[in-house]
Amino acid sequence: MSRFRHWRRSRPFWGGLLVTLGGAEILVTERVPLRVFLHVGPQGIAGYLLPIVMVLCGLLLWFNPSQRIFYAILAVLLSLGTWVTSNLGGFIIGLLLGLVGGSLAFGWTPIGDAQEGADAGSRRPGWLSRIRPGAR
Amino acid sequence: MTSSQIPTSDPREGRVRWRRAAAMFASAVVACAVLMAMTAQGILAANFSISGFPFVVTADRLDGQGFEQFASIDNMAPGSPLASNVQGNFPNQGDTGGQVLVFVSAIGSAQLTNLCQSIAVVPGQLYLKLTAGADGTKVSATNLVVDSDALAGNATFNNIEIGRDASTLDRVPSATRSDQAGSFGQQAESVHIDNLRQDNWATTAAQFTLPGLNLRFAPTPCSVGS
Repeated sequence: MSRFRHWRRSRPFWGGLLVTLGGAEILVTERVPLRVFLHVGPQGIAGYLLPIVMVLCGLLLWFNPSQRIFYAILAVLLSLGTWVTSNLGGFIIGLLLGLVGGSLAFGWTPIGDAQEGADAGSRRPGWLSRIRPGAR
Repeated sequence: MTSSQIPTSDPREGRVRWRRAAAMFASAVVACAVLMAMTAQGILAANFSISGFPFVVTADRLDGQGFEQFASIDNMAPGSPLASNVQGNFPNQGDTGGQVLVFVSAIGSAQLTNLCQSIAVVPGQLYLKLTAGADGTKVSATNLVVDSDALAGNATFNNIEIGRDASTLDRVPSATRSDQAGSFGQQAESVHIDNLRQDNWATTAAQFTLPGLNLRFAPTPCSVGS
């Protein structure tokens, strides 16, 4: 069990999960038989493209966490976009899941990065320390 | 000693920095509020593409330009718990093989007063209700294509053609499907409906502007005159 725990804690797990669930929820509200899907124009395609890419972002946050900043920002932008393109963001539920998940993923950092370290001269101080000296 | 490179093959554990996450979330919420306000003003159109479960649409008035209607068969997932009609009964799937006879109504562009859409979350007890266009500014809908099994209202049509082959209809080009050749269809240049009620199974790529948008859970579905 500790192997899974280590895997879970070494990436933005909850962020990725919420983004994936958000995209999936939007797709569930949109299920359309293939017969009809073929006649949907480009505006209709966007309605499916955004939640599909949301699901991809969520999975990539799990399996490629080194690129998490890009995936997190993309997930937030896609969630906002689904308000316009996809049933008001899956009637808001998928939109909120995507926003929360993307924010959690954006905020996730490995433990080593957070500390200023005793050797302050070798690292660029974090932006917050300019406002509050000694903050991380 | 601190390292300036993070090898991607060495996953270190981490945690969420709440200040960073909150900063991103706050910006996202502000952007979301702007989008919602623009939609409620009727400036931004929202696209709807719903299928697989029944939903009800009612409106006090509908004025539409470009109208088409023809019969079709929708397929539903056999035994799906959502495959019930708005009264909460399961259609007789045994003989039909999970198919629902619907008619497709397509309106190219429409203005609606007091639009209400509701979806049954728990049939009979809990509905998700969306209302708009109640405060004087009308809802405008483009490419409103719905698959219905019931349609009611007081309707007036201009320049109606009844009995045309469904594949030759041309009033709403985005709705015409070539696989409907041989089935009965009708179309009109414009339509006016009072006290509209539709029981729908699907809508595709309809774009709505929704002034005065209100989205909430309610114990009753949309009904005419509510």
